[in-house]
Amino acid sequence: MESVCSKLAGRNGAHVFLGKRRPSLVDALRGARCLALGLLFCSCSSAPPIPLDPSPALESALPIDYTVVFVIHGDGGYGFHDSEGREYKADVEVLAGAKQVAERNSQAEVFIFHEKRRTHTLLFFPRSDGEFFYYRSGRLIAQESYWRDHGESRFDPVVDLFDRFYVAGQPRRARFFLYFGHEIPEVGGKGYDASYRNWTFTVHDLADGLSRITGDSIKFDLVALSSCFGGTPHTISALTPQARYIIASPGNLHLSYLDVQPFETLDVGLRAGDVSDFAKDVARQSYVRLTTELQTEITVAVYDVDRVQGFVSSVDSIYDYSLTAEEGKAPGGLVRCDCADDSAYLRPAMSEGVEVFYRPARFGRSAAKLDHSGWECLQLRKP
Amino acid sequence: MLRRIGMYLAAVALVMAFGGRAQAQDKLKNHFSDVANKVKAMEDPSAKREVLNESLNKMQSALSTVQGSPLVSKNDKEGIAQFKVTLQDKQDELAGLNGYAGVPDAQLNDFADYIVQDMEQAETVTISLVALLLIILIAVLIL
Repeated sequence: MESVCSKLAGRNGAHVFLGKRRPSLVDALRGARCLALGLLFCSCSSAPPIPLDPSPALESALPIDYTVVFVIHGDGGYGFHDSEGREYKADVEVLAGAKQVAERNSQAEVFIFHEKRRTHTLLFFPRSDGEFFYYRSGRLIAQESYWRDHGESRFDPVVDLFDRFYVAGQPRRARFFLYFGHEIPEVGGKGYDASYRNWTFTVHDLADGLSRITGDSIKFDLVALSSCFGGTPHTISALTPQARYIIASPGNLHLSYLDVQPFETLDVGLRAGDVSDFAKDVARQSYVRLTTELQTEITVAVYDVDRVQGFVSSVDSIYDYSLTAEEGKAPGGLVRCDCADDSAYLRPAMSEGVEVFYRPARFGRSAAKLDHSGWECLQLRKP
Repeated sequence: MLRRIGMYLAAVALVMAFGGRAQAQDKLKNHFSDVANKVKAMEDPSAKREVLNESLNKMQSALSTVQGSPLVSKNDKEGIAQFKVTLQDKQDELAGLNGYAGVPDAQLNDFADYIVQDMEQAETVTISLVALLLIILIAVLIL
């Protein structure tokens, strides 16, 4: 459709605006009609996929050692400001970082899904609200728009695109899944997408999506949740079947906190082949950068999924009881807290398998809180 | 009645202008960021305090007005009540009330950033578009 649009624009431009004769009213009206048609076609179109590179070099390209999947949610309030007052859109910033990761890894295939706000052209003609990029060996192989509401579940379009481009039959050294967005609800989940207020999205939907991407028998080596309140027993438990290690923030951390720069050189970061060390490096680097930028609390944690199962299963029922109360709007309401600050969740071995990078907020009630367990829980609001 | 109609029409106009809740949220974030920039541009600590205090007071007034409006739902009122508690906490800290020691002069710029960042990472999902627009209308454009 791009060609149709460019042809229309080109024809109009040459005839009406760039021609040597003076444009008449008829020309102007014709141009306006063509422009409207052009907009209509563009608004209804999906950008066609960039065709696979036919060069034989690609076929003999370096082996694919890594698969990286980025899902970047941008259908919500993702604006933020730096300390100079400059305004940014978190999803747009992350998208640029993800593309750099894709371009700089010669032995990786990188899938990028950008979930955008639904917009319309001329108020009526919907534009596609998803943008997909597929890179292999550092080169952009495909780019296309998609509709997020096509399919029965939220991840249908993502899984379809993944299956279309995934290079099967090659063993991977590591698989990564990185999610960027607001806090993923643990129950309910209605209203997560600004464009689709009736859709629901919970950590269980995410876990289901992950299992459909890799298949039930394969885990992601590292799942990163660049969102608020990902470090809870319930969320880690939900993602347990699909992840070996998880990076998440148990706190209310600033948008797009995760630093993707370490993913730009996976061969270097994973030279020793240790995903655990790599995950800690990613978390540490993100933490260090954030300490120079933020006045609010910073908590980034790495969870060794197998090793945290003891704690998770020991508090599962208590946490789920609180979640049920939250869903039913318990009188007085619930607030989040460090699990270590509530005796109901406190366990001697709760730090087993968790690496925490923490700095309290510079202001507020918790400014004097010296450490964090790495786990966030729910408790009744004190009167 | 006229006031109510006027507020409603203004809210509708703003919906048209901003095109969605995400944009309304961003508008509110811009407001807090503008205040922080203003504070950081000042030299005199007492002037900084005055700007911060005035901004927080205006926002509290706007929230109270919207909270009492028949245009907003019960859920909105609860969301606004939580927002007010958060802002009150910052007013207390600024003034050194309710157990706070007060913000030292040398940290007022950082405190202004803290307000912006805390606002930006807080989910305002419980506040609907209409309520958000009314808050913006009153706090940013009228008061």
